[in-house]
Amino acid sequence: MTFFLLIFPPLLAALIATLVRPYRAFVGWIGAWLSLISLGASLVFVSQVVNGQIPTWGFKLEYLNLEDVLRADSLSALLMVCVTGVASLALFLSPGLGRQVTNPHWGELAYGSNQLRRYHVFINLFIVAMLMAISANNVGVMWIMVEATTVFSAFIIPLKLNKASIEASWKYIIICSVGIALAFVGTVLGYFDFVSLSGRAENALNWPVLLATAPVLHPEVMRLAFVFLLIGYGTKAGIAPMHTWKPDAYGESPAPLTALMASSLFAVAMYALLRWKAVADATLGSGYTDNLFMALGLLSLLIAAFSVVLATDYKRMFAYSSIEHTGLMCLGFALGPLGTFAALLHLVNHTAAKSLMFFLVDNIEHKYRSPLIAKTRGLLKTMPWTGALFAFGLMTLIGLPPGGIFITEFALFRAGFALDHPWLMGVALALLAVVFVSFINHLNKMLYGTPSAEEINPERPTERFSWRIALLLINVAVLVTLGLTLPSPLATLINQSVAILSKP
Amino acid sequence: MNEPLFSQLSTLGSSVILLFGITLLWRKSLHAYTDAFQWQSAALTVMFVIIGYFGNDPELYVVAVFLFVLKVLILPRYLERMEKRFGDQRESQPYVNIVTSLMLSGLLVLLAYVVARPLVLVSDLPTRGGLPLAMGLIFVGLFVVITRKKALTQIVGFLVMENGIALLAALGTFGIPLIVELGVFLDVLMGFLVMQVFVYHIHSTFESIDVDQMNELKH
Repeated sequence: MTFFLLIFPPLLAALIATLVRPYRAFVGWIGAWLSLISLGASLVFVSQVVNGQIPTWGFKLEYLNLEDVLRADSLSALLMVCVTGVASLALFLSPGLGRQVTNPHWGELAYGSNQLRRYHVFINLFIVAMLMAISANNVGVMWIMVEATTVFSAFIIPLKLNKASIEASWKYIIICSVGIALAFVGTVLGYFDFVSLSGRAENALNWPVLLATAPVLHPEVMRLAFVFLLIGYGTKAGIAPMHTWKPDAYGESPAPLTALMASSLFAVAMYALLRWKAVADATLGSGYTDNLFMALGLLSLLIAAFSVVLATDYKRMFAYSSIEHTGLMCLGFALGPLGTFAALLHLVNHTAAKSLMFFLVDNIEHKYRSPLIAKTRGLLKTMPWTGALFAFGLMTLIGLPPGGIFITEFALFRAGFALDHPWLMGVALALLAVVFVSFINHLNKMLYGTPSAEEINPERPTERFSWRIALLLINVAVLVTLGLTLPSPLATLINQSVAILSKP
Repeated sequence: MNEPLFSQLSTLGSSVILLFGITLLWRKSLHAYTDAFQWQSAALTVMFVIIGYFGNDPELYVVAVFLFVLKVLILPRYLERMEKRFGDQRESQPYVNIVTSLMLSGLLVLLAYVVARPLVLVSDLPTRGGLPLAMGLIFVGLFVVITRKKALTQIVGFLVMENGIALLAALGTFGIPLIVELGVFLDVLMGFLVMQVFVYHIHSTFESIDVDQMNELKH
C-alpha cells in the first residue's frame, strides 16, 4: 500500500499531463502537490525500517511470478527520501507553474505549451523510474528502471532545440545507453554464475537471494561481472573516466531536471553499484572492489579538480564539482564500514547541496543571460537572496562549516587514515585543496564587482524574497542541521544501511 | 536430448550471428547495415528457438516471438524509413578505416575468448562454446558505436550490442527470467525511439547526421 502511495502519484501526474492539451498551469500544480504524497510515503518507509521492518510487496499470476517484486530496506528508504525530496522541490520550481518567463538568451517566451506538456509528462515518468529502481527487489528490474531513467530524461534535456542542447543529449543518450548495456552484461554474468551452480530459479536475481548465494559463487566470474557493472553503472553515476557526458548534459538541461540528475539520479546509479558491490564483496572479500573504487575515485578527483580550475562556465563548473564528490564517495565506499557511513551521509548532504546550487544557477542565468563566470559580476548587489544562498551553498560544497559536508569529509578522511591509507588520503586532500582555492576564486569574481548594464536582463528587477527562495531555505536548513547534529532516525538508517552493505 | 548436436548448433549459430555483426565493419551503406541487423536478429530468433527446444524451456519460445516482432519486423522498418528520409547515407570516412577495423575486430574476438575463459571453465552447459562469440559480438558492437561517425550507424551498433547481450544471456543461462527479458525489450524499443527522434533533430539542426560536427560544447 505504501509502495502504491510512493510510486502512483508521479505516474498519475504524468497521466494528467498527457491528457490535458494544451498545457495548463494547474497540471504542473497538481503534479507538485501530488509529489508531496510520495515524500510522505518515503517518510513512512523510513519510520518502518528504523523500527526493524522490511516492507515488501508483490503478487503472483499464472506464469508471472512477481512475489516480493518491491522491497524497501534501510538503504532503499534512505534513497527514497533523497529522490522524493528533490523531486518535490523540482516540481514546485518547474517551468510552467507561475507566469511565463522569457528565455535568458533570446528574449522570446522560454517554453511553448507543447514543450511544457512534454516536460511535465517526462519529468514525472523520470521520477517514477528512479523510485522503481530503488524499490525493485530484482536486480534485473532495477537495471530496466535505471535504463528507463536515461530514456525519459533524454526526452527533456533539449527542451529548447538548438545545436548545443542536441549535441549534449545525443552524447548523453549514446554514452549512457551503451554504458548501461554493459551493466546488463554484468547482471547476466551474475545470473549465469548462479544458474551454473544451482540451476535456474525465478527469484535468483532477487537481491537477498543473490547475496545469500554470493559466498559460493565463482570468484573468477564475479570479478568479470563486477568490472562490467562498475563500468556500466559508473557511467550513469559519472565516475571518471566515464564522466564525459556530465558537463554537457548538466549545462544544457532545464534547471529542475539538472537538479534531479545531479542529486537523485546520481544517487540512484550509486545505489545500484552499491548493491552489486555488496554481492561481489561476499564472493571475493572486499579487497577487489575496494581497490577498483579507490582507483576510479582518485581519478575522478584528479580530473574534476583540474577541470574546476579551468572552468569558465558556472553550470559546467558544478558538473565538475559533482564528479569531484562522486570521487570522494567512491573513496568512502572503499574504506570499510566507517568510510561507508561517511560516504552515505555525504550522499545525503550532497543531494541537498547540489540541488540547491542548480536551482540558484537557474536564477542567475535568467538574470545575466549568460552561463559564463566572466560575465557574472556583482551577484550580491543585483540578487541579494540568490547571491547569499549561492555563497552559502558553494562554501558548503567545498567543505566549510556549518554545512554538513564539512563533517562528512572529516569523517571520511579519518576513516582513511585509520585504515592506513596515508598516501591516498594525502593526495585526495591535496586535490580537495585545489578545488577549494579555485572555487573561492570563482566565487569572488561572481559575488562582487559591478555588472555592466547591458548584461542584465531588464525584465528582472532587483530580486525580492519570494516563495521560490523560501523553498530553497529548506535545503539550507537541512545542510545546517546535518552540520551541527546527526538526527537519530537518520543515524539509525545509515547505520542499518552500512550493516547491509558490509555484511561478511 | 542430443547434446553433441545441440552444442554444434549453438556454436554454429553464434558464429553466424557474430559474422553478421562484423559485416557492419566492412559495409559502408546504411542499407547494408539495416539488412545485416535484420538477418542477425532473424538468426538470433532461430537460436532462441533451438535453445528453447533442446534446453526444454518453453519460455524461450515466448521470448523468440517478441524478439522476432521487435527486431526483425519493427526496428528494421524504422531504420528503412530513416534511410528513405536521409538518402542512403554512406559511412565514407570512419575514425578507423575498414582494413584496420577488420583486423581490430579479429583482436576483439580474441580478447573475448580471453575474457570469457572463466565462463567457459565454470559452465557445463552444452552451449558454452558460444559464450566467447557472444562476448565478441558485444565488443564489436561497442567498437562500431565508438568508431563510426554517422548517428544512424551508432544506433545500429548499439542494437547489435544488445543482440550480443541477448545471445550471451540465452547461451549462458537458457534465458533470464521472463519479466526481466520483457522489460529489456521495452527499454530497447523506447531507447531506439528516442535515438530516432534525435537523429531527426540532428539532421534538421546540423543538416547532416555526422556526429563529428557536434563540437560546440567544450569547457
